[in-house]
Amino acid sequence: MLSFLAPLFLAGAAAAAVPIVLHLLKREPEARVKFAAVKLIKQAPVEYTDRRRLRELLLLALRVTALLLLALAFARPFVATGAAVGTTGVTVVALDTSYSLAAPGRFERARQLAKDAVARAPAGDLVGVVTFADQAEIVSAPGSDRTLANDAIQQASPGFGATRYRAALSAASQHLAGRRGTVVVVTDLQENGWDAGDRASVPEGTTIQVADVGAMPPNLAVTAVRVLADRVVATVHNGSPRARDARVHLTIDKRPAGDAVVSLGASQSAEATFAGAPRGTAAAVTVDDPDGIQADNVRYAVLGGTSPSSVLVVTGSGDVNRDAFYVQHALAAGTRADAAFQIAGVAAAQLASWTEERLAPHAAVLLLSTRGLERRGRELLAGYVQHGGGLFIAAGPEVDGEVVGDVLGAGSTLQIAAPNVGKPASRVLAPADGRHPVFQTFAANPASLGLVTFRNAARVAGTACQTLARFTTGETALVECPAGEGRAIVIASDLDNRWNDFPLHATFVPFVHEVVRFLASAHLQTVDYLIGDAPPGVPRVPGIVTAGAAARGAGGARAIAVNVDPRESDPARLSMDDFQSAVTRLKDTGALETRGEARQQEDQQHLWQYALAAMAILLAAEGVLAARTA
Amino acid sequence: MPWTAHDRPFLDPAVVSRLGTLELKARTVVEGLLSGLHRSPFKGFSVEFAEYRQYIPGDDIATIDWKVYARSDRYYIKKFEEETNLDCHLMLDVSGSMGYGSHHVMSKFEYGACLAASLGYLMNRQRDAVGLTAFDENIVTMLPASSRPGHLLSLLVTLDRLKTARQTNVSKPLHQLADTLTKRGIVVLISDLLDDPAEIIRGLKHFQFRGIDVIVFHVLDHDEIEFPFERATRFEDLETSEEVMAVPGVVRAQYLKEIGALIERYRRELGSSGIDYQLVDTNQPLEIALLSYLSARSRSL
Repeated sequence: MLSFLAPLFLAGAAAAAVPIVLHLLKREPEARVKFAAVKLIKQAPVEYTDRRRLRELLLLALRVTALLLLALAFARPFVATGAAVGTTGVTVVALDTSYSLAAPGRFERARQLAKDAVARAPAGDLVGVVTFADQAEIVSAPGSDRTLANDAIQQASPGFGATRYRAALSAASQHLAGRRGTVVVVTDLQENGWDAGDRASVPEGTTIQVADVGAMPPNLAVTAVRVLADRVVATVHNGSPRARDARVHLTIDKRPAGDAVVSLGASQSAEATFAGAPRGTAAAVTVDDPDGIQADNVRYAVLGGTSPSSVLVVTGSGDVNRDAFYVQHALAAGTRADAAFQIAGVAAAQLASWTEERLAPHAAVLLLSTRGLERRGRELLAGYVQHGGGLFIAAGPEVDGEVVGDVLGAGSTLQIAAPNVGKPASRVLAPADGRHPVFQTFAANPASLGLVTFRNAARVAGTACQTLARFTTGETALVECPAGEGRAIVIASDLDNRWNDFPLHATFVPFVHEVVRFLASAHLQTVDYLIGDAPPGVPRVPGIVTAGAAARGAGGARAIAVNVDPRESDPARLSMDDFQSAVTRLKDTGALETRGEARQQEDQQHLWQYALAAMAILLAAEGVLAARTA
Repeated sequence: MPWTAHDRPFLDPAVVSRLGTLELKARTVVEGLLSGLHRSPFKGFSVEFAEYRQYIPGDDIATIDWKVYARSDRYYIKKFEEETNLDCHLMLDVSGSMGYGSHHVMSKFEYGACLAASLGYLMNRQRDAVGLTAFDENIVTMLPASSRPGHLLSLLVTLDRLKTARQTNVSKPLHQLADTLTKRGIVVLISDLLDDPAEIIRGLKHFQFRGIDVIVFHVLDHDEIEFPFERATRFEDLETSEEVMAVPGVVRAQYLKEIGALIERYRRELGSSGIDYQLVDTNQPLEIALLSYLSARSRSL
């Protein structure tokens, strides 16, 4: 499709009318003269009228074409592809398919509103359809065939996702691609569709219209299930404006395990407690609500699925109480159930007798000593890291640099050397990359790490390693080294209050937690997922599902609970103005992107040069012809 | 001494064309011409005494009658009435090609008619017999030569009634007239001569063969001499209605060459034959043509 980088110059094509007008104005009635000496004229070479007229028309055509080509060249033409195509208006209908629309009759109304929006789209506009919940999906790309859009709307159905307006508007904006556009959002205007502080951006000039499906019907929802050692506690929310009694049922492994009745005030929540230690693998709590939203009437939980991740600490003797006192207590600390780590200790010398299968389940390995670490043990650690494991090395006095060079595999560039003798006794750690996850906890107060005094530090280097922090002396303090599918973090000091006083500071516990969590991120076992956060491959349907362990060391397949986002059950609604005010209209970023792409395409094609060359050829031909015509 | 166009101011043909009748035009031109001439062009061919008139400064001293001076001690000059037995035949081309005129002045025909009328007036005034023959491809009108006082009026009326129409064949009427003339005289041909030059020259020589002097006024419009056209024009022949579309810029050079060659041929061949040839541009004052006639007339005496 031919587009123009500077279409305003096409107005210059109006200049082509000048020779035409001149031609028409000059085209007076044919001059006729009654003359006496015609026979003398006849003896001169007489030009035939028809031939001359043809030549004049050809001249006119050449001049007009030359002017058109000039205007065309200035307009910088190019054959547009992709986002640079066209300026046709686009109407994108964003249809909310979140589970809040699954109540009887609601989605049919939503469909009708969407079809109405398609029908109302300006003639000539391309029409596309986006369905959205927590994710958006283009079900009908913008096109001129509105039947396709209506078919896509007809085939859409509510799912189990939660409303996220941002996803819908982002997807719609991409399809506007700098063109004049309208986004019609067909939704029930749930307030939770915007996250706190959330904003969506659309190109400037985009019209946002909202087709309101209406308020949610009276609804009961199970919003949480907690499995405790001696009971199961379910939270039930009454979303209707009047008090209700709700019948709540517990099933474990699909067998009834208890019933409860809770009284709920208007727009209030209450807990239903099912006494008794749960036995089994999967629990489901349901509430009777045949007239409300069905998807939030049930919530699932995996029984015994919240065991802490295991961290292996390698010390000289294997006695973590003695060799890794501070690390052990730091890892054991935590207020949340999933914040603490299960710690296992092993002597470096004993690793030689371990197998890969025994080492693999550990989420991370802390190497505090290489004393007695034999080749077999080093190879075991190298294999662990190469296959995705995380290794935290404290390059203190117990760690031999020569040995450590082997634990990251053959391709490792990590080098650790003993501290220089006679170096200053005091140094402070300063993050070099504050955005790294390890330092995220300290983002609010990065100076807190400066309170730690390092009296001694090993010399750590590695061409493939990223320096995360340095000492104030300029020495490397903390590096991250990739190794195969895994990674290692090396601190150039110990974690046992020998070369530094780090364990005595409040920053020690969060630092160790963040490092271990970062290293073990591939191994942390979460069993409770919202549909929007479920691992890849897991069906987007609530229930207990078996997820394949993608990461080595996760222990193979495991049961996870996938539930709907309870925020979707909140009946609070936005006003139209609130919805519009949450949409930021950017200075036509789409147009800028499109223009950038158009400029790139135009630069590659250089059609204006061809136009100018053609114009030059035409003018040369015009000159020759004009000279013969004069 | 011959008269030239630059010696004195003449009436612009455009002015003459606006005068009412042909008689008025002729009289204006001739009287205007004669009133300024200090030397009488009629010297030598007037024989009969008319009257005495008191001398006034400017009169030729040779005309003073010394006998009267001796008797009366006053200067008187003799005035003679001219007599002539010369027949002058005016041949006016009234073919279609003579109808061409440009620049809001007289057409060649009008100019020729005015010239004929002026010549007639002049001849009548000096008592020459003057006749008129209008022709296109044939003789259209023929008025025999006469010096009667009323004859001038007949001549002017005849001229006034003439119109251009048909095609040209100059030589044929020339031969016809030459055959009819029996008396020695002068033939004045007023034509654009846009015909076969050889035939025309042959016809004119026919007169010479008969002992008749010939004066040719080759009347051409200024456009025909200069070809000043600019834009592409469809030229329609006034006689044949044949049309030619031409771009003046393309044909001008060739046309000028052709018309120049035609004029030069007439000038050369007629001159060599003793025929007075005068190219007359219709932009030129009529007096110039008259002076040419008078010059030729004086030479013939």
